[in-house]
Amino acid sequence: MTTTLSTAGAMLVAASLAFPSAAQKTGRPPVENWNVIEVAAAANAADEACLARPVALALDKEAVYIVDAQDCALKIFSRDGRFLKAVGRKGRGPGELSFPAGVSVNGGRIYIADKFNYRTQIFDREGKPGGGFPLPFAPDKIFALDGETLLVTSNPTGRAAAERLLHIYDAGGRLRWEGLEARSSSDPVFDTFTNMILVCPGAAGAFFVVFRSGERSILHFAGSGALVGRIPVDERHAFRPVDLPFPGPQKRLLGFCWAAAWDRELFYLLAPAPVEGRDLGPGKRLSVIDRDGRLTAVIDLPCPVHRFIVDGTRVFAIDDEGGLRIFEVVR
Amino acid sequence: MKKLAVLALAGLVLVSAALFFPSAAAGRDLDECYRDHQRCRENALNLDAPWYKVTIILTVCDLALGKCILAL
Repeated sequence: MTTTLSTAGAMLVAASLAFPSAAQKTGRPPVENWNVIEVAAAANAADEACLARPVALALDKEAVYIVDAQDCALKIFSRDGRFLKAVGRKGRGPGELSFPAGVSVNGGRIYIADKFNYRTQIFDREGKPGGGFPLPFAPDKIFALDGETLLVTSNPTGRAAAERLLHIYDAGGRLRWEGLEARSSSDPVFDTFTNMILVCPGAAGAFFVVFRSGERSILHFAGSGALVGRIPVDERHAFRPVDLPFPGPQKRLLGFCWAAAWDRELFYLLAPAPVEGRDLGPGKRLSVIDRDGRLTAVIDLPCPVHRFIVDGTRVFAIDDEGGLRIFEVVR
Repeated sequence: MKKLAVLALAGLVLVSAALFFPSAAAGRDLDECYRDHQRCRENALNLDAPWYKVTIILTVCDLALGKCILAL
């Protein structure tokens, strides 16, 4: 009996050595589960602290900067979520905003994509306007790649051929580079989705582009605009399909990423999730992807989030109701 | 005779097209139509709403553009 058991045990050990696990077979590390603890945000009584339509956020050592497209304002919070001040109001003059859509901070200067004024604006931390420059298109997001270079994104209008989605300007507003041609077909509404991109600023002026649907490679660009490479993302971060209500043959979008961030050599991709039956919206799960595209961990947030930014173990996110949420990641 | 009839027909088509579609003098209005269309699209995209809903809003933007261009 003992001999039979020990023989069976030996066979099991031999089998496990001969047939390694899926992770070992593909050379991929197992996926860890990282937990989060919500950091209680300070209560904000001021009306100005309410975010009507927060569309972008940025972070530095001092504060969290959120642009509110509806209030036409930049709202500044401390890193523990306490409201500090609101900057700007609706208008066309210096320091005034019309549908601010993007924000970035570098060296104490706050850069804003002032969409319907067709310009960038720069503010200091006190909220004083300090320049900017006009643009020939409605800017969407803005990233200060370093003190001298600004990356501005745009959504294609469909009015011109070969529109570019990425534009690099120097501090004086001179165009240095344009790239990433918009995809176009006979269906402009479908094209809108295939041209939705997310940009993550990287180190030393480099940046990464993630397509929100249909494409599972992350594009790596140098600060000059040169394409450095493509990072194929682990298929364990799966596509989420959604059938769109187009006339004629059914069109399916493969949702890949709702929002993205890059921090300390890791990508954080927010997986889209099914909402209200057949629709696809923001999810709760963050996939942590390393520089080689491997899924290394997943983080399940307590609520769906629309946009987020990561700094070490802190995640600053905008939830479904437009509130700022702060999470601490426990590895 | 046949040639004349073809030319007359072509002329009629051109005249009716010119009457039906906005004239060049309305170029400024066309620009306004496209500007409104862009605002509509940008608003839709920045809602960050689920995609099925965004598709419907974008389609409404396109319909509004057509209506504006045709001055309906």
